[in-house]
Amino acid sequence: MQSYVHVILAGLSSGMFIWLVASGLTLIFGVLGVLNFAHGSFYMLGAYCSFTVLKYLGAGYWAGLLLGPVGVCAAGFVVERFFLRHVYRLALPYQLLLTFAFVLIFDNLVKIVWGGGALSPPTLSFLGGTIPILGRNFPVYNLFIIAVGPAVALLLWALLEKTWYGRIIRASSSDREMAASLGVRVPALFTGVFVFGTWLGALGGGLAVPYVGLLTPGMGETIIIEAFIVAVIGGLGSLKGAFVGALVIGVLSAFGTRFFPAFDMFLIFILMAGVLLLRPQGLFGAAR
Amino acid sequence: MGKRGMNRRDFLKLTGAGSLAAAAAGGLGGGLLTPKWVWGATPSVKGPIKVGYQAVLSGTLAGYGEFHKMGAVMAVEEINAKGGIAGQKVEMEFRDSTTKPDEAIKNARYFVDSWGADFLAGIDSSAQALALAPLMPQLDRVIMFTHAATEKVTEDFVFKKGVKQIFRNCMPTYNDGHAAAFIAKDFPAVKWSTVSPKYEYGFTCWKMFQESLKGLKPSAQFIAESFAPFGTTDFRSHINTIMDAKPDGFYSTEWAGECISFVRQAKEAGLFDKVKYAMFPVGAAMDVLEGLGKDMPDNLWISARYFFQYPNSKENNDWVARFRKRWNHYPAYVSETGFSAIYAFKAAVEKAGSKDTKAVIAALEGMDLDCPAGKRHFRKEDHQAMYDVPWGQTVSDPNYPFKVMKNMKVIPAKEYFNRPPFEGPGTSPPFK
Amino acid sequence: MKAETRNAVAAGAVLLALCAVPFITGKFTAYLTIRIMLLGIFAVGYNLLLGQTGLLSFGHGAFYAAGAYGLGLFGVHVSTHPLLGVAVGVAAAVLLALLVGYLCVRHTEIYFAMLTLACGMMVFSLVWNAREITGGDDGLIGIVRAPITLFGLADIPIARENHFYFFVLFFFALSVWAAHRIRRSPFGLALAGIRENARRSEFAGVPVRRYRLAAFVLSGAFAGLAGALEALLESNARPFMAHWTHSAEPVLVSLLGGLSSLTGPLVGGAIFVAMREIIQRFTENWMLWFGILLLVIILGFRGGVVGTVSALFRKATAPGEG
Repeated sequence: MQSYVHVILAGLSSGMFIWLVASGLTLIFGVLGVLNFAHGSFYMLGAYCSFTVLKYLGAGYWAGLLLGPVGVCAAGFVVERFFLRHVYRLALPYQLLLTFAFVLIFDNLVKIVWGGGALSPPTLSFLGGTIPILGRNFPVYNLFIIAVGPAVALLLWALLEKTWYGRIIRASSSDREMAASLGVRVPALFTGVFVFGTWLGALGGGLAVPYVGLLTPGMGETIIIEAFIVAVIGGLGSLKGAFVGALVIGVLSAFGTRFFPAFDMFLIFILMAGVLLLRPQGLFGAAR
Repeated sequence: MGKRGMNRRDFLKLTGAGSLAAAAAGGLGGGLLTPKWVWGATPSVKGPIKVGYQAVLSGTLAGYGEFHKMGAVMAVEEINAKGGIAGQKVEMEFRDSTTKPDEAIKNARYFVDSWGADFLAGIDSSAQALALAPLMPQLDRVIMFTHAATEKVTEDFVFKKGVKQIFRNCMPTYNDGHAAAFIAKDFPAVKWSTVSPKYEYGFTCWKMFQESLKGLKPSAQFIAESFAPFGTTDFRSHINTIMDAKPDGFYSTEWAGECISFVRQAKEAGLFDKVKYAMFPVGAAMDVLEGLGKDMPDNLWISARYFFQYPNSKENNDWVARFRKRWNHYPAYVSETGFSAIYAFKAAVEKAGSKDTKAVIAALEGMDLDCPAGKRHFRKEDHQAMYDVPWGQTVSDPNYPFKVMKNMKVIPAKEYFNRPPFEGPGTSPPFK
Repeated sequence: MKAETRNAVAAGAVLLALCAVPFITGKFTAYLTIRIMLLGIFAVGYNLLLGQTGLLSFGHGAFYAAGAYGLGLFGVHVSTHPLLGVAVGVAAAVLLALLVGYLCVRHTEIYFAMLTLACGMMVFSLVWNAREITGGDDGLIGIVRAPITLFGLADIPIARENHFYFFVLFFFALSVWAAHRIRRSPFGLALAGIRENARRSEFAGVPVRRYRLAAFVLSGAFAGLAGALEALLESNARPFMAHWTHSAEPVLVSLLGGLSSLTGPLVGGAIFVAMREIIQRFTENWMLWFGILLLVIILGFRGGVVGTVSALFRKATAPGEG
């Protein structure tokens, strides 16, 4: 019983973590129609900036979490306003290539600024430590992640469904021209959404600092594929889909690693292939 | 001319050099910076001596490449300051090997065919070493592997296939797998478990550990194993698997960033409270010690391919102090192997009196070299350096911001290194 | 007519230049040229799927790996004859492409891309985990470059780099010619029609799914050929050939050079390999500069390098030509 509960808890925490990273990616695709391959880089930059605030400015983890992503938003702004905007009309491969170019650039910049070695944050005082659950210790921070996931989901839902601003965003994403003709300044809106998506990614990175516990210049690459897969399984552009998809993937992967270790390297791909073959648009994607 | 010139001429006469050579040497001796070594009648080595070094400089392991560089650059600087190798300056070019074998091959070809390297060094990944090995006879330059640990490169390629250009000065999987068993045999633990990397290195070391421990302590059982793919950041499921099995001994060859993550997460889950005997064969690597810092649990059994506190000799302590002065950092094991590799080239060229590959190979085979890590003996049969590394338990020390070793134990290399012909009975430990 | 002969002359000139490379340049340049040719074979076949048919696959590394491991395993266990090995490698790639393509071709766009990525990564994991057969992440070692025996008469040695260069050049020329013919054939034109408007093509009677599958398998065959040749070049095969990061290479290279032309992927491949090497000579921070270079090309050269250059050329020679 103990092992099942712990496997589920492990799955919930990794699932919610991936949701936090994938939320920004999904939002950007849903509204702008762009698949931002550099999202992993914003995640990485968020982690490094938070870590810097935490360690070198001595301000503590929560200040780092608040301030770190702000710097990354500036990078997001530059990327969208001056580069990505030019390839909206182009086919998917060009967007991927452009964002991939930024992956290379950001990875290298991080290495230049922070060095190539792996950085390790000190353990948290508040929310650090463990709590015994059914006789085995479980990190408190993981419980925090499990709580933050739905909180962010609620926040995004409220933003998009219940606010006037959210309505404008939804309108612009489904019909750009109509929205523009109604007076919405679509390009500025898109920049805003992109920056917000970047902020979500950087927040994920900031949250990752104690959760993953290790910062390396390659950390964006490993997370981006998982985020992509979760987004696709949920249905590209659907935040609800990404949330459910992340949950499912997280828990299934945890069970897979624990009870069927032979498959763990490609379990996530089998799951994606399975979902796509049965339901090509993903779990909650728009039917074509 | 002075004393120095006189000595050289006398020496030349003694070695029976022709008077012409003696006169020429004498004529040269006064005006230029004279190197401290005498070549006798052998022709002088054409300079500069070019070393092509490649290590991982990008991605998650980028720190290792930087550590390699620190050691190697320091060696080149010191050697050049003292006159170079055989009087010739050493030039080194450093390239990012990445982790891909085809990059390593391309860089090696660039170094030799385009840049004119005399020696190659470096390489972190075992797969890269195995991919480079078949190319070496064609490139025909000595390559010193300073990290890649697979025993296959020396046992198969050097010994069985006769690729004599390959040398390795770094400790291979023998310490991770076999020596760990020699340390473990004295523990009361009998039920062993592992979380190891899900690739050849992890599989091989676990297999070696099992075989040696079974030979040394027949009561040992191996009750749980979980292999984690490269790039794993969340080990909790693997830790759960181990804890469910309730072992009393634990072994893991997780290394670098993954070791840091694993130890952290295992400590949180309480693994080390339940399992008293936990062994990390590459846990004493500098990046792991510094990455974990004060959070590293005490009493873990760790080792590495070089640990800066061993040997506690003047040479090593001086070297560590020099390294810290130069780089403001404690040396990683790849810094020591990178440093020693350049000195190995120096010793070989000066002994052979030439940088011709065949002559260098002959000079290196069987050579004993004094290094910061102690004395290295380059075994003739497989070109693998034999030297001793320590195992010890983690303990706090107020002098350092990270854990160091107590209860240091050193198993002599010859007790656990595989022996030629590497196949059949009596070639792997324990030996009778 | 004029354009045809102009292209033929240009192709002949390039071929001559390639033949001269091992004699007039150093060993390393010859090696880089072999790598450019291998990437060229991979990319020119891949572009039949991407540029011609409009399908973005992120799994073609799996077929490259099939070619490499096919040749490798055949060579280690059965026979080291290079031509047979190449044939086995290509056959393995074709079979795998048939299987994967059949599953994936019913989707398009991003879902096709993700499905092919998933299939490619499954092949990667399979190869990595089947250690007994493939050697796992150590790679398959023991591949040799044996001489080609032709009907027991002549023994053509290809072990030496210079000889192997011509072996690769032969297949490179063959591949480019084949891709050219396919593009110009009725089948190729139908593929272009599918890319432009699949629905209309369907109404016109083109069996869209079957044609897409055919394009998929053909591009897989080219990938397998490139993989088999690389296995002979480096004497090893490794799992990362099937990884999605390797599958991304022909995409990158085709986009760089230009999707709509035959030579686009080839030029892109040359730029990719050459630029990486040149940048590395100056700085360790090659990723940064390579990324910047990519940005410049994407934003400055719409339609890829070849597309932009040929557009400029056409503008310059436009007046007076029908």
